[in-house]
Amino acid sequence: MQKFGTFLSGMIMPNIAAFIAWGIITALFIEKGPFPVGGLGGFGENEAGAPNIGLVGPMIRFMLPLLIAAQGGRMVYGVRGAVVAVVATMGVIVSTDQPMFLGALIMAPLAAWVMKQIDKLWDGKIKPGFEMLVNNFSAGIVAAALAVVGFFAFGPVVEAVSRALGNGVDWLVDNGVLPIASILIEPAKVLFLNNAINHGVLTPLGVQQAAETGKSILFLLEANPGPGLGVLLAYMLFGTGMARSTAPGAAIIHFFGGIHEIYFPFVLMKPILLLGMIAGGMVGIGTLVVFDAGLRAPAAPGSIIAVLAQTPGDSFVGVILSVLLAAATSFAICSLLLKLDRKKGGDLGEATAEMEAMKGKRSSVAGYLSPTDEAQEDQLEAAGLAHPGTHAGARKPIHRIAFACDAGMGSSAMGASVLRNKIKKAGFTDVEVQNVAIANLTDDVDLVVTHQDLTPRARTMSPSAEHVSVDNFMNSPQYDGIVEELKTTNAQGSSSSR
Amino acid sequence: MSDVLTRSQVKVPGDARSKDDAIREAGRLLVDAGAVSPAYVDAMFEREKSVSTYMGNFLAIPHGTNEAKDTIGRSAISVVRYDAPVDWDGNEVRFAVGIAGVDNGHLEILGKIAIVFSDTDEVEKLLAAGSADELYDLLQAVNED
Repeated sequence: MQKFGTFLSGMIMPNIAAFIAWGIITALFIEKGPFPVGGLGGFGENEAGAPNIGLVGPMIRFMLPLLIAAQGGRMVYGVRGAVVAVVATMGVIVSTDQPMFLGALIMAPLAAWVMKQIDKLWDGKIKPGFEMLVNNFSAGIVAAALAVVGFFAFGPVVEAVSRALGNGVDWLVDNGVLPIASILIEPAKVLFLNNAINHGVLTPLGVQQAAETGKSILFLLEANPGPGLGVLLAYMLFGTGMARSTAPGAAIIHFFGGIHEIYFPFVLMKPILLLGMIAGGMVGIGTLVVFDAGLRAPAAPGSIIAVLAQTPGDSFVGVILSVLLAAATSFAICSLLLKLDRKKGGDLGEATAEMEAMKGKRSSVAGYLSPTDEAQEDQLEAAGLAHPGTHAGARKPIHRIAFACDAGMGSSAMGASVLRNKIKKAGFTDVEVQNVAIANLTDDVDLVVTHQDLTPRARTMSPSAEHVSVDNFMNSPQYDGIVEELKTTNAQGSSSSR
Repeated sequence: MSDVLTRSQVKVPGDARSKDDAIREAGRLLVDAGAVSPAYVDAMFEREKSVSTYMGNFLAIPHGTNEAKDTIGRSAISVVRYDAPVDWDGNEVRFAVGIAGVDNGHLEILGKIAIVFSDTDEVEKLLAAGSADELYDLLQAVNED
């Protein structure tokens, strides 16, 4: 599960900038935004009378899922995997009108994995001179086949899931158990089915209600910006790395721009956070029920500004409280979950990076401990880490270690030689140490060693590997740490001394 | 012993007093050996801008970028020892090892250099070597065992 989460965030994290770009464009230029531009926002017609396509729609339908697909494919099987993954995901994307993030998250790694297995079939059996031909055509044929499979397999499934969720929400609304609807709405939202739920189910019902009573609670079931604000605030305070530093900007785009999609990746990275989202949604809806509050018309986009603009006079207290309490609830629960997650440590490198962040400076022994630095050792132990050897009860054996540097010809080659030598002297014969250019790093290695300046980048390239940072390639205490760790992870060799 | 490191690619003592001059000096040796075109030296500066090539134990290994590999004719390395430490991003460097590597032809010798330099006793010996010949012979000895 942990590894699954890391993999998800590895697919999404490097693309956060694209989500933000899309969020900015959407918040500014759609029809209801502050600077409506038909050509960008995708409404109205152009001079020739054809409807404007705009940036907003194609970016979320094609660009963002394909970026995720490329990253997911690359993590599994390098550039070749990325190419196959993008083609296959394209088949999934056009199979439905919904933005196909779920399809990208599943199809991309799957497609790259299939390619990898197929390549193994004739690995080493191709006549010299025919490699390019065979490689390009095998990838082309596999990609084409997967795109067709994706089109027929995913479309109906996603349509069915989307319809089932819609029917569920419909039923809950009919039976008056509104807060329960959050259990369906929040997960559907982060899979980018938000518009299907809101515009497909809630808005039509809400419009009916509003016509009869002047307002409807249904307009706020999905559009309440509270839960999303809560999770982003939780990331701001208790998140790590890039997610933490990106969260404030995302919160502004979400809360004031009304572009909820911006927070979805933050939840997808750690699906457990859905608990906080659901609780926040429930509290928000419950508050609206208690105060008998609602909106006059749909709030689109779901920004606090649009919401308040549609709030009738007698509902201000209820609506404002609903947003605030929803945000507070999701913030509290997500903070707790993020903190728990951090205590567990994730992988050692991640936790170490946090240590550095907490200390506000780079430590000279980034990944492992030097015996002289007792203060730091205490701190690491406080963080539940102790020594690498004791840390990992069930850590898997390490067989492939990659040294990565910028060009893969100098520093990493030297570091790899030194470590290889140490490992050989320690008597491990089942460990392979290779040097690569960081751009060619893949996610099929067990441990990655990089200069501390490159570690964050390496982590996005190989999210499921353990990461060790060094600042001295020749003579790092980290190398001895790795050898120590091998003693516990790899059964061969002496038993653990701890 | 291959021609990756020949006697003419070892210089003791080096003339450079600054990091930039040391990169130029190590690069010059590679150009003179006919291993790389002068454009490779520019790539060495380019590479140095991203992450310092200081390795620890008085050693820096200036080399080019991944993109500059087509300016390399064949794999080669150069070794320059300095009598006075050169300031390399705040670190003391006594050895600049210029590297040009294609098709991993340089990895074997580079690996040996790495292992020598990871042992401080060995580094002492290299520092104590009285001449370029002696330094070359020491490195040579590593290469042959």
